[in-house]
This record gives sequence, structure tokens and C-alpha cells, in this order.
Amino acid sequence: MLKINQLKASVEDTPILKGLDLTIGPGEVHAIMGPNGSGKSTLASVLAGREEYEIGGGTVDFDGQDLLDMDATERARSGLFLAFQYPVEIPGVSNINFMRAALNGKREHAGLEPIAGKDFLNLVKEKASLVELDGKLRDRSVNEGFSGGEKKRNEIFQMAMLEPKFAVLDETDSGLDIDALRIVANGVNSMRSPERSFLVITHYQRLLDYIVPDFVHVLVDGKIVRTGGKELALELEERGYDWIKEGVVS
Amino acid sequence: MAYDGKDKVLEEVTAKAYEFGFTTDIESDKAPPGLSEEIIRFISDKKNEPEWLLKWRLEAFEVWKKMEEPEWPHLNYNKPDYQGISYYAAPKQKKELGSLDEVDPELLRTMEKLGISIEEQKRLSGVAVDFVMDSVSVATSFKAKLGELGIIFCSLGEAVQEHPELVKKYLGSIVPTKDNFFAALNSAVFTDGSFCYIPKGVRCPMELSTYFRINESGTGQFERTLLVADKGSYVSYLEGCTAPQRDENQLHAAVVELIALDEAEIKYSTVQNWYPGDAEGKGGVYNFVTKRGICHERSKISWTQVETGSAVTWKYPSCILKGDHSIGEFYSVAVTNNAQQADTGTKMIHLGRNTRSTIISKGISSGRSQNSYRGLVQIMPSAENARNFSQCDSLLMTDTSGAHTFPYIEVKNPSAKVEHEATTSKIGEDQIFYCLQRGIDAEQAISLIVNGYAKDVLNQLPMEFAVEARKLLAVSLEGSVG
Amino acid sequence: MSTALNKQPQLGPQRLPMHAASQTKGLEMERRLQALFPDCVNEAVDALLTTLPVPHRRLERWKYAAVNGFWAECARSQTQTLVATALDPLPVPGLDAYRLVFVNGRFDAASSSLPVAEGVTCMPLSDAEANGREKRILTDMERTDWFAALNGKYATDGVFLSIKDGVVLDRPLVIHQRQEGVGNPTFLRHSIHLGKHAEASVVVWSSSSDDASGFVNTLTTGAVGEGATLRLDKVQDEPGTVHHLAMESIDQAASSHFRIQTATIQGLWVRNDLAIALNGAGADAVLNGAFLPNKSEMVDNHTTVDHRMPHCTSSESYKGILYDKSKGVFNGKVFVRPDAQQTNAYQQNANILASREAVMNAKPELEIYADDVKCSHGCTIGQFDDDALFYAQSRGIGEAEAKSMLVHAFIADILDGFAVEEVALEVRHRLAEKHNWNRWDDPSDN
Repeated sequence: MLKINQLKASVEDTPILKGLDLTIGPGEVHAIMGPNGSGKSTLASVLAGREEYEIGGGTVDFDGQDLLDMDATERARSGLFLAFQYPVEIPGVSNINFMRAALNGKREHAGLEPIAGKDFLNLVKEKASLVELDGKLRDRSVNEGFSGGEKKRNEIFQMAMLEPKFAVLDETDSGLDIDALRIVANGVNSMRSPERSFLVITHYQRLLDYIVPDFVHVLVDGKIVRTGGKELALELEERGYDWIKEGVVS
Repeated sequence: MAYDGKDKVLEEVTAKAYEFGFTTDIESDKAPPGLSEEIIRFISDKKNEPEWLLKWRLEAFEVWKKMEEPEWPHLNYNKPDYQGISYYAAPKQKKELGSLDEVDPELLRTMEKLGISIEEQKRLSGVAVDFVMDSVSVATSFKAKLGELGIIFCSLGEAVQEHPELVKKYLGSIVPTKDNFFAALNSAVFTDGSFCYIPKGVRCPMELSTYFRINESGTGQFERTLLVADKGSYVSYLEGCTAPQRDENQLHAAVVELIALDEAEIKYSTVQNWYPGDAEGKGGVYNFVTKRGICHERSKISWTQVETGSAVTWKYPSCILKGDHSIGEFYSVAVTNNAQQADTGTKMIHLGRNTRSTIISKGISSGRSQNSYRGLVQIMPSAENARNFSQCDSLLMTDTSGAHTFPYIEVKNPSAKVEHEATTSKIGEDQIFYCLQRGIDAEQAISLIVNGYAKDVLNQLPMEFAVEARKLLAVSLEGSVG
Repeated sequence: MSTALNKQPQLGPQRLPMHAASQTKGLEMERRLQALFPDCVNEAVDALLTTLPVPHRRLERWKYAAVNGFWAECARSQTQTLVATALDPLPVPGLDAYRLVFVNGRFDAASSSLPVAEGVTCMPLSDAEANGREKRILTDMERTDWFAALNGKYATDGVFLSIKDGVVLDRPLVIHQRQEGVGNPTFLRHSIHLGKHAEASVVVWSSSSDDASGFVNTLTTGAVGEGATLRLDKVQDEPGTVHHLAMESIDQAASSHFRIQTATIQGLWVRNDLAIALNGAGADAVLNGAFLPNKSEMVDNHTTVDHRMPHCTSSESYKGILYDKSKGVFNGKVFVRPDAQQTNAYQQNANILASREAVMNAKPELEIYADDVKCSHGCTIGQFDDDALFYAQSRGIGEAEAKSMLVHAFIADILDGFAVEEVALEVRHRLAEKHNWNRWDDPSDN
């Protein structure tokens, strides 16, 4: 599904990713944990194609395609989804119209006709129930005036609508109370399938109680320094990151 | 990364050619260039006008000769050579038109190219259309049906002949001949335009619409619209504009006068898409327009404009809130791209008690364009408890364009409450990236964001127009934006 | 017709129409000034005075401020020897400060107390020009405005203050400008130079005798060096029929700070004209003012903040309460030039009309030629909050007192911004005195 090889990236001449390797197979859920500033969110942005990041080297193979050779739209239409840590507000643009444009863009890319109005509305209804997103939120402007939890649920709703092959969840748990966290996690879990992979970026082990990963990686200073099963997350929760950092240094 | 920034995307999306830049091959009746008493007599004679109107025109001409072209706008253009323009160009027609079917088929094709298939509109939307080409009104549909309600909707020329008492009473009553340089010029040389009268208590059952088009090369368009809504009546009026693509600058100096008598309501919407000139700033229409309405007691005038065309725009649709409890509204989206320049806004003059006005202006500047909002809110001593709210936002698409705000706020009554807010910002890169990540391409993302930004104004437009306006916004910003 | 030109438009006023009658009046005034000040010679200014339009209503800059009073005041001007008065040289009681006192534009050495400190040079401008320390350079203001140009020629004296790199002036410097007698034309020019990281607080206090007339034309130029801080407290408290035009032309280097607080307590005709040029990256400017005119006073605050370099911020807040038949004007202009990316500019003008006959004209303008900017302005004109008044009254607070409380709340943030606390306090006292407020909460009581 995704194969990252020696990826280097910097922002405004400050190197952040310093040769990152990661392979994610179909249907797998990977978690990336790491201390603040280790490059977690940079990785998410680089994968999604954010232009502020300078790629200094390495390759990313996405389902047989050169991911780095595609622009952000192409990546999205090819099935890569990023759930933003800070979902953006777009005043005056209704959530529904926004999704219709996105979905039709994807369909166009796949050589399909735009979705019929009725089918679209049925799809919206179905997917919205997944994350308990009520009708009012669907009709409001994209993320405008949404609470933190509503924004995150809206991200998962959009993911469900677009049915990506590979989804990156960038600190989707931040700012969520336990109920919202459960709703978000249920949404994600219901989308797990043998064809779909996830990369869950998080600071806390808590989210991984709900979305149980196949692999846990620790990112320190722009590199993955340790990989393990879900029990690694628990260990990190208990012992913090320092012991790993020390290990890296020595 | 392959996606190396919006600039590249935007460069790739090269400017879409002006869609309406075809010319219509119709024989036309055209006066030699130049402005003189003789020409004015010629126009008046051609139109078979009564003596009082000729006199009125000649007085306006005398006033105009003593006036100077305004210098205060934030505009930079070479002044037109007023002696180089032909002041009369009528499509040649054999005789008076009885019905639409008798209109020159070539003309009908022109209208279709413009997307106003009159036949279609007749059937589907029930919009009555008056079509003004090179200042002469060529077709008015739905006349009979409106006639049943006592609504007069015809060309101004026709109104002069058939309803002289109404024309005489109201023509120049809101925009007097000496109001300003361009209004004086228009008063002297206007060739046609639309006239509309809604009788007492009548709610006009359909949108009335005028399409303006400059066709002839070397001509100006000087039409005049006069709209009277009698007591308790309602009308929604639409105005659309196009012009062929020409290398020279064409002058459009129009006057619109609205009269809302007690408890009447007028909704006046404009989608202005005159030819803006090419990407280098060659050619395009000079759009110097005076639009003003008067509100009597408890009446309401609402101006909505979507300005995307013209090389240079100078335009301030205004309301004189004379009657107590009257309401004035101004909703505007002005988009400038490439080398366009716009200085547009409104004036709200509060005279009556409890008068209210709202101004929502959304400017969008792209390319190397300059886009200015200029507005006046004036609360006179008699305007007890007047209220105004103004919101003027500017969105900058490029670092080579300019966005300017020049509000004038004059308050002479302490019971007034006036609030003005303005913001200027860049189009949000975060917003564009968010769209891109959802698979929406840059061009569409910009269109979405801009439409969202302008939503408060677009929502004021009648349905059919809103769709057209949205498309126009997208087209106008193509190939330019960040 | 030929093609529209599409070059970058010029910034600022482009076309300046002349008005024949005003032009004649201006020249009359100039002749009279020449007779009164035969020693004042400046050819560059002479050229300007004939080519610039004399202010009149159709000049955008002077749209709302009539200048007729100047012609009348000048016509009755006379050369007179000054009568010594019992002037309190320090307008702010108990303030520990340096001071330079000028009466009708002349330096009063006996009442003054100049700073003497390492790295600080301070003297009357006439001395600085005589000994070659200061050369008169015309500002952009003088080159574009007729009244400003007069200053370039007729300013007879003022303050010269120069502070070396890294030096902090240990006490505020008070410039006390006193106007007395009939029809005196006063021209003062203050020149302030701050070296890198230098700091100074300057108070410019204008006062007059109760029967004073004439006019005061002052221009303060400030060159604020890199990382330097200049704080200017400006107080205008002139009874009589004095016409007062105060101009500040400030040039800021990178990372410098400038703050001006203006309080217009009284004056028949007062105009403040500020031009701030942010000429270095990362500079910031704060411009605040409060004006509370009554009777038939006119107060005009005109500001121009010119963002020329990136990463600069400016913040502006002017608040006015207009009583009786007074008139207020606010014209704030923010320019953001093409290079000034990452500009952050904020402008606010709030006004209360406290009387039927008061008039407020506001023109908050933005002219923006760069895209990565955050600029906003807001302007409100309204009246005292009736609900708040009623609430206070229902608690047994009298109407006058309730209003004074609301006034206090309305302009408190402006008064709190003064560099010198004693100045803010004195401004409060004088405002209370002018408006007969029997109670003005001392902030320390809160």
C-alpha cells in the first residue's frame, strides 16, 4: 500500500524528517507516536502534499505510484485521505456542497459520471449516521462555528464519504472528550477492511484503546527509532519517551 | 514535489477568453463621431421626440460643456476623446416591431449567444426581457401580459411617445442633468433604455429584465433606465451587460433612476460583464454609471450588483432615504482581474426618521488589478433614529493587486447608530490546501472559497441570476488566483 | 479612445485642485507673515507655497475642516513684545521632568530646565541650526500640504533632541507651548533623533491664556533608530480662540517602537496630522487619541500610517465624545506598499454624539498593495448606551454622574496608554473641570 524509503523533508531550511522508513501493507493499521517536535505532523503534511515542505530526498510509493510526483489533489483523488489535526473553516461554503465537489472530483478522476443528487443525499445520510453528525452540521459552512469534537467528527464523516484506500489521522484524538473519542473511533473501526490501511498519529495511548493498531512506531527526531506491537504504546505511556531517546543517543 | 505551489497551477490555468466577444453582423444606423448640438438634434429627431425633451437634452449639453471629468476616483485611465465617439448607432430595422417574432433573426441569434433565449425564458422562467443593443431597445417581451396588470414595461423611447406625462414627471428627478459629468453627458445624448411603471398596489408577477449590449465599434452606450414603483407596489428588476471584444475602449455612461413611492419595494440586480479588456489591459469598456433611487415613506430599495467586467468601473448605486421608515440596501461583489480597475460603492443619504441602511461589499482583487470600495453614509439632522451597518471586505488573490477602502461617514444626528467594519486579507492557503486534500482542484477550490466569501451578496440575487453570477465569478478569476 | 494605462497607481493624493479664492487668501496670509517675520527665508518653501493648493473644502485632505479662521486670525496678528506672565512653566504639577518652555513661539530660557546627560543633546532648535547641528530638511508633509509648508519657512524655534545609541533619557522631557495675546502666529518645529536602542518619553503640552487668539502651527519630526523607543504624549488644552495645527512626521527604522497618545481637552479649532512611515522591518507604531469637544469646538484627527517594509504592525484607536455644537473629524489612512508583506494593521474609531447639534465625520481608509496582510478597521458613531445609563440610574446614580462613568469607561484605554502617568492624571482632572463632572473615578480607586 505505502512504502516510504529514506524520506527527508524540511521547512524553511530546518530539516524535520531525516531519513524515515515505513512500510504499510493493505488492511494494516499503524500508529506513530513520538514526543513533540519529532516530525509526526510533518509526516502527515508531507504525505498529503503540503507545499511548504521541501522534500530533501527519499521515495514514497503509494500503491505502485510515485506519491511525491503527484500534487495534493491527485493524491486525494487516488485514495489518500488526511484527517487534519486542525480542520480548516471555510465560511459560506456548505459542508454538503464541499463534499459533493470532492466526491465528484474523485469520480471524475476514476472516469465516472457525477453522482446523482438523490444518491448523493442518501450517501450523506448513511455516512453521517456513522459519526452521529446531525443534519444541521451538514448544512452549515465547512467547520465554521463547529466545536472541536464536531470538527473531528466532520473529518471522519468526510473520510467515510470519500472511502480512501489509505487514511492518515493526524492527532484526531486531540481535544476530544471520551464520548466524542468513542464516536470517532467507532467511525474509523467500521471502515477497517482488508483493502484499507490507516496511519494513526497520536500523542497518547488512549486512542489506541479504541483503534487497535497492528504496529506501533516511535518517531524521534525525524526517524523511526523503534517498532513494535500495540504493547509498545502501553510501555510508552508508562515510561515516556526519554528512555528511547537515550537509547537513540547511545 | 510535483505540486510546487498555487502559482504554477494558476499559471497553467490560463485566462479564459471573454466568452461574449463576438460581434453581431447587422446593418446599423450610425451617426458620425462627435458631439454637438446638431448631433443631439439628430438623435432627438431620429427618436421623434417632443420639443421639451430636446430642450432638456440641450440644457444638459450646455451644463456638460462646463463640467470636468471627475478626478477623485482611485482610477488611472486615459480620458475618452468625447469627440471621437459616435453617439448614435441603431440596428437598422424596417419598421416598428409588433412582436418578438418580427425581430431581426440575426439579433435573436445574438441574444441566444448571450444565453438569453427569449423564447426559452418566456416559457420557463417567465422573465420579461427588454433588450438594448447599442443604446436602442429592440425587443420587449411579455408586454401584453404585463399590460393586463397595468404594468408598463417598454423602451424609454416608446414611453416618451406613449406615456409622456410619466416620463416628463420623473426623468431627471433623481439624477438631475447637472448631477455629475457622466450623468450630464448621458442626459444630452441618451438614445434609449428601459422604462417601467408599476401601478399602485401591484406586485409584478415576474422578474423584469434588461440586457444591454454594445455592438458597434467606435460607439458609446448611453442608455437610461427609469423605474417608478407606485404606492404599495413591488418589482424585481434585473440588468445584464455584455460587449464584444474590441481593442479600443468603449464608453458606457448610463443613468438609472428609481422611484419607490410610499410602501413600494424595488429590488434592482445587476450582473455587469462588459468586456474587461485583454490580459495586458488593452481595450475594454469604461463603465461610468450613475444609479440612484429615492425612497418615500416605508418604501425599500435594494441594489445588488455583481461586477466582473469592464476595464474601468465608476459606479455608486445610491439611495436617498427621504421617507420615514424607508430602507436602503446595497449588496455588492466586485471582482477585478488582470489590469481592471474598479472604484465602486454606494451612498446612503438618510433624511427620514427611522431610516435604515445596510451595505455589504465584497471586493476580490486579482492579477494586477485595483479594486476600491468608496461609500458615503450620511445621516442628516432630520433623520431621527437612523441606522446603518456597513461591512466592506476585501480579498487579495495576488501580491500585485490592490484593495482599497474609502468610506465616508457623516453623522449630524445624535440618535443615529452607524457601524462600519472592514477587513482585508489574503485568500487562505489553509483553505485551499484543505480543498486540495479532499480532491477538489485548485481552480474549483478558489471558486468555492470565493463563492462562499461572496455568499451574503449572491444570496440576494434572484435564482436564475445567482447561477449566472456564480459561473461568472469563477470565469472572472480563472488563470489569476492564488 | 486609447488604452487604459495599468501602471502601479501612485500612493497618496494624486491630483490637487486649486481654488482661486483660497489661493488669494493664502497669499495674503503669507505676505503678512513675511512682514511679521522678515528674517524667515526659504526658497524651497516659497516654490511650494505658489504651486501647492491652499487648503479648501474640495481638497480631500481638508474636506471636513474649514480653514477660514486662520485667515481671520492672521489678519489681526501684530508684532508685539511679550508681556511677562505668571506662567506655571510645568503644566503637570509635581512631575519630575525636564522642560522647555515656549511662549508665542519663543524660547523662554528662564522657565526651562534642559537635560544634561551623557549621550543626550538638547537645546532650542534655533541654537542647533545656528551651530550647524541641525539642518532644516523639508518633510513629505511640507512638500504636499500648503499649511505644513509654512512651517518649513516660518518655524522660528522649537526643541532639538538627539540621543545616542543605547542611551535612555532618564526623565520625561516636557515641551510646553504657551499661546498668549491677540492674533499671534506661532510656528514651532521640534526635531527628535533617537539612536539605535535609545529611549525617550516626550510630552508636548499646549496651553493658552483664556483670552488668547492667533494660531499655532507645530511640526514634530522624529527619526526613531533601529530598536529605539519613542513615546509621545500630546495634550492640547487651549482656551480662547486659538487655532491649532499639530503635525508629527515620524520615520521608524527596523524593530523600532513609536507610540503617540493625544488628548484634546480644549481648543476652538484643533487639527492633528500624523504621518508615520514604517521604514524598517519589524517596526511597530501605536497611535491613540481621545477628544471631547464641546461648544463650537472642532477637532480633526488625521493619520497616515505608511507600511513600507515587511513584518510591521500598526494599531490605532481614536475615540471621541462630541458635546453641544462641536464637530469631530477622523481620517485615518493605512497604506500597505507592495513590499510590506506580513503587515498587521488595525484601526478603530469610535464616537459618541452627546448632543443634537454635534457632528462627526469619519473616513477610515485602507489602501493595500500587498497580499499577505491582515488589515482591518472599524468605525462606529452612536450615543450613550441607554440601557447602561438606566441601569446606573436605577441604582441611584445621577444622570450626570452616570454619564461621566460611561465617558470614563469609553476613553479609559486611551488615557491608560499615556507614557507618563502624571500626564494622564492631569488630563483626567482637566477634562472633569471642563465638563463639570463632579466625580471622576481615580483609576487607583478601582
